[in-house]
Amino acid sequence: MRHSILDRRTLLRVGGAGMLGLTMPKLLRAAENASSIKPRAKSVIFLFQWGGPSQLDTFDMKPNAPDTVRSPYRPISSSADGIQVCEHLPEMAKRMHHVSLIRTMTHTMNNHASAGYYALSGHEPPTDDQRLRDSMDLYPAYGSVVDHLAPNDNDMPTFVSYPHVIRDGSVVPAQHASFLGKSHDPLLFLEDPNDPNFRLPELTLPRGLSIDRLHRRREMQQLVDQQARMLEYSESVRGFDAYYERAISMLTSDRVRKAFDLSAENEAVRDRYGRTSYGQSCLMARRLVESGVKFVTVYFSNSIGGQQIGSGGWDTHGFNDTRMYKFVDQYHLPITDQTLPTLLDDLEERGLLDETLVLWMGEFGRTPDINKNASRDHWPRCYTALMAGGGVKGGYVYGASDDHARLPAEKPVKPEDLAATLFHLLGIDPATEIYDRNNRPLIIGGDPLHDVFA
Amino acid sequence: MRSINIALSILFCFVGLARGETSRGPDFSNDVMPVLSKAGCNLGTCHGNLNGKGGLKLSLRGQDPEFDHQSMVMAARGRRVDIAAPEKSLFLQKATGAVTHGGGARFTKDSTAHQILVDWIRCGANGPSEQAPALVKLDVTPESAIVAAPLEQLEVQVHATFSDGSRREVTQTACYELSNLNAKVDDDGVVHRTKLGETTLIVRYLQLQRPIPIAFIPSSPDFEWSSPEPNNAIDEHVFAKLKRLRTNPSELCDDGVFVRRAFLDAIGRLPTADEARSFVAEKSPDKRSNLIDQLLARPEFADFWALKWADILRTEEKVLDTEGVTVFHGWIRDSIARGYPLDQFVQDLVTGTGSTFNNPPANYYRANRNPSMRGETTARLFLGIRMECAKCHNHPFDRWTQQDYYQWSNLFSQIDYEIGENKRQDNLDKNEFVGDQKVLVAKKGEVKNPGTGDTVLPKFLGGDVLNEAQRSDRLRSTAQWLTSKDNELFAASQANFIWYQLMGLGVVDPIDDFRLTNPPSNVPLMECLSDHLRENEFDVRSLVRFIMNSRTYQLSAEPNESNRHDAVGYSHAIVRRLPAEVLLDMQSDVLDAPAEFLGYPHSIRAVQLPGATSKLMRRKGPRGGDRFLKTFGKPNRILACDCERSNETTLKQVFVLIGEGLNDRLDISDNRIARLARSTLSDEELIDELYWTALSRHPNEDELGIALRFLREPIVKRAAGLGELFQSIVANPSGNDRVEGLRDVAWALMNAKEFLFRR
Repeated sequence: MRHSILDRRTLLRVGGAGMLGLTMPKLLRAAENASSIKPRAKSVIFLFQWGGPSQLDTFDMKPNAPDTVRSPYRPISSSADGIQVCEHLPEMAKRMHHVSLIRTMTHTMNNHASAGYYALSGHEPPTDDQRLRDSMDLYPAYGSVVDHLAPNDNDMPTFVSYPHVIRDGSVVPAQHASFLGKSHDPLLFLEDPNDPNFRLPELTLPRGLSIDRLHRRREMQQLVDQQARMLEYSESVRGFDAYYERAISMLTSDRVRKAFDLSAENEAVRDRYGRTSYGQSCLMARRLVESGVKFVTVYFSNSIGGQQIGSGGWDTHGFNDTRMYKFVDQYHLPITDQTLPTLLDDLEERGLLDETLVLWMGEFGRTPDINKNASRDHWPRCYTALMAGGGVKGGYVYGASDDHARLPAEKPVKPEDLAATLFHLLGIDPATEIYDRNNRPLIIGGDPLHDVFA
Repeated sequence: MRSINIALSILFCFVGLARGETSRGPDFSNDVMPVLSKAGCNLGTCHGNLNGKGGLKLSLRGQDPEFDHQSMVMAARGRRVDIAAPEKSLFLQKATGAVTHGGGARFTKDSTAHQILVDWIRCGANGPSEQAPALVKLDVTPESAIVAAPLEQLEVQVHATFSDGSRREVTQTACYELSNLNAKVDDDGVVHRTKLGETTLIVRYLQLQRPIPIAFIPSSPDFEWSSPEPNNAIDEHVFAKLKRLRTNPSELCDDGVFVRRAFLDAIGRLPTADEARSFVAEKSPDKRSNLIDQLLARPEFADFWALKWADILRTEEKVLDTEGVTVFHGWIRDSIARGYPLDQFVQDLVTGTGSTFNNPPANYYRANRNPSMRGETTARLFLGIRMECAKCHNHPFDRWTQQDYYQWSNLFSQIDYEIGENKRQDNLDKNEFVGDQKVLVAKKGEVKNPGTGDTVLPKFLGGDVLNEAQRSDRLRSTAQWLTSKDNELFAASQANFIWYQLMGLGVVDPIDDFRLTNPPSNVPLMECLSDHLRENEFDVRSLVRFIMNSRTYQLSAEPNESNRHDAVGYSHAIVRRLPAEVLLDMQSDVLDAPAEFLGYPHSIRAVQLPGATSKLMRRKGPRGGDRFLKTFGKPNRILACDCERSNETTLKQVFVLIGEGLNDRLDISDNRIARLARSTLSDEELIDELYWTALSRHPNEDELGIALRFLREPIVKRAAGLGELFQSIVANPSGNDRVEGLRDVAWALMNAKEFLFRR
């Protein structure tokens, strides 16, 4: 019996052929993965909490643990039955009915760089290295995978990240497309959205160049290009020319510029998010998903922090008299309690919450045992991730940690499973293969957490 | 029908299979394993994954029948197989979709596959049998094919020969994969064309694989071979294949295109306006080959080709330190400049020990710091073999086993480092090394195969285990074996590397992926190039000269009617974006204004930069020139692979070209544009000069027209009144619209596709 219907297996086998050396057109590869998974979220806002927030002082309080373990802060009840959160997150407490908490995130990377790479890529790094080198054989950022497999067709960029490149001594890997190729890198900007003069260089004409002049340059370029006829016979030449069209339209037309124009927001809204880089970045995230960007990554800070109050990430060891419990209640928790609830409200008010997945997590949690500096150190074995909106249950807790939030008591979740959950929610099969520079087929995610799906 | 099958199958257990060798029913290795492979159960996406899937793990693509039998029958307390009621067996219920299965239904209950598995279980679900004959040969007919339209498909037949001499047709049970999307293949080995062009069908049955090259060509009944005159042996092989595929090569490219192509490919820079003009004007019939000789003798040849080897040899500052980068790059460049034979160059690298600051080749091992990495790098760079897959399991597409991987690594196990003070810029960064260090040959250190837990004997890849004498100096022995003239892969991989640099596509592609299932696109051509390299004492220039003098190299990039669909036959030149360094240097040359690199003097050209990321750049972030190079894909040199360099095009690159990146350089007050505008040349003359400088040609009438308009018509509208006029005179006392206009012309030329792309 002969049949040539292009069934799933045929597709899989064609996919496998990518290993055989020749590079396939990317869109066709992407099409091969067009699975039957129904997208539950149109967009993702990933609020990456660099430095590592403490599970015990935020969303996995253990009030009955001994005082060498439990938080000095008290738990308060929330809008979701049975879920308590830290007393310094009173506004967040009122929105927990939107939230799924995953309290059993677990891995073994103790260093920020390796743990950060794991959190941003969903792939375990080759070593637990304090200065893990960013190289082309490491995995891409989630947003780059999305751009590769399910790119936007609405003229908006698929993947935008800002306002930092995160580092701990060296740049943390998985903030770009790596082996998927530069064309899948995020639209990355480092300008501060809280700066009154905030503008994107990509969306701004260079000094002394008027739109008229840009057009006349393009006019002559097109005339010269006609002579060589390369546009007629070379696909890569045509592709590059299309980027000129796109760039010029971004520089001159409204749509994209508008999305990035925070000044279009009224002052009250801007105030609600807080006049901080992070606050305005969260507002920007809402504007971007509203205009059709699929994956937005906001980095909480550029450094791991812990040096002074009011800047930096969550890395509060208490070194040099920088006690954790003078830091987090004055900076990290208040800024979180201002931004995250505001973002959820704003998305909900605009009818976007159901189609936008908000993910809030760091690279690891912090030690259950309070250290000699009355602070907490790195703890990857058990920590909490928060998801809200787009396709996840509200007021739900997945898994449970043990009495000290030291280890998962049940249902441990590895970062690759969280990645799989993210992809699944976007309608991308987590078993999809991507190809590295050796043309090896690599699977993008682990096992999705079906229980958190709404 | 089904009941008869079942009745028959019960008989099998007693009277044996059709082949009659066994009374145990279907044999696990020869009958069950093909079913699992055919159904895709053991693929990497499914149970062949390193971690298995849904609790069941099979060996990748059925490499290990013993293991698979354990997994299916013994593991999970035997719950997957039910001998009493074979059809109720869990794995069959899953595979037929009767029970929820992440991988969906793989076959139906009335399929032959299902029947074989039921029979096998009914007869006791026995494991691999020692008595079962082994597969010794796989024959596929045809062995290669040209399919001319209107035909659009090809059927293959597959026969397996076993150790007992038996032969059977396995077309229905073999697995099929294609190397690209030019065609599709169905389960029965029928290949259907999706577009014209070449593809390779990989036929896999049990442990053997066969590649079948297939070309789908148009019908072209009027085809007439154009009989181009070959310049040398390369053309004979290329044209022989093209003629078979009824494909005419394009015309020779014209002199203007050639002079540009030759300069860019050989020395990585543009011809000056004078160089281009005089070449085009020259009347000698040998002018192309004379130009090639001149280019090969220029110092920039060494600069440009050193860049290529510096990339793959991981010449970067964090591991080698600035001094190491300087001496290593210096040695690479010098080797190329003085024509040091490639085999000796490689021997020096592979035996390079001692102080990395005093003996530059020792930096090879300074960069590759453990036996696995040394083995992988050496195999990839000097044999064109990617061993990475075999680190965790046997290579699924090649002959290399996990044992081969570790035996090869063990050649490089006895290397140690004497690290000095090592005052790191970042104390916490153990990837960083500062100061000199010595690469030492240690007396001990053996590699274990983690698969078996045993220490392995050092063995050449695809060669012998080292004998006692060879083992006394493993590196020397390796170097000799590697570069021996009998080592086909050494010559072929090096020739392919050079061919790729000039042609833009390896005869084996990717260039470092020589493998049974990835054959050369033109076997005699590959042999011809290897032979040339060997016969000319591994002289790089000799092979470059040979290639550039071929008609094939000199063909136009513009396709004709018959070769439009050809992507791998070299029927026309391949258009590609120029490398980052070359593009930046081209801008500098056109503007006659150097780019800026952190930590380097102004006079250095981008192709001459010895390293990847200077220490100063690591601290302060990239400057203008550095940023351009990153954006356009200069590699960080962390991987020993040409693939780390990116020749992609991106939106961001266009922003650099439209925006401040290029604009700031155009605006420099004493660059070539400003000087030309101030000169006494007429508008026509200076446009002509700029065209020759940037594009190596005259402007045509239309182009001259628009350029003149730019020079003569001001950008700003005419002054509305006296005040405005006065203002504009103050701002621009010479009334010089020429410079602004010329900047716009220069921008257009430097953004022209013929500037950015090599054709």
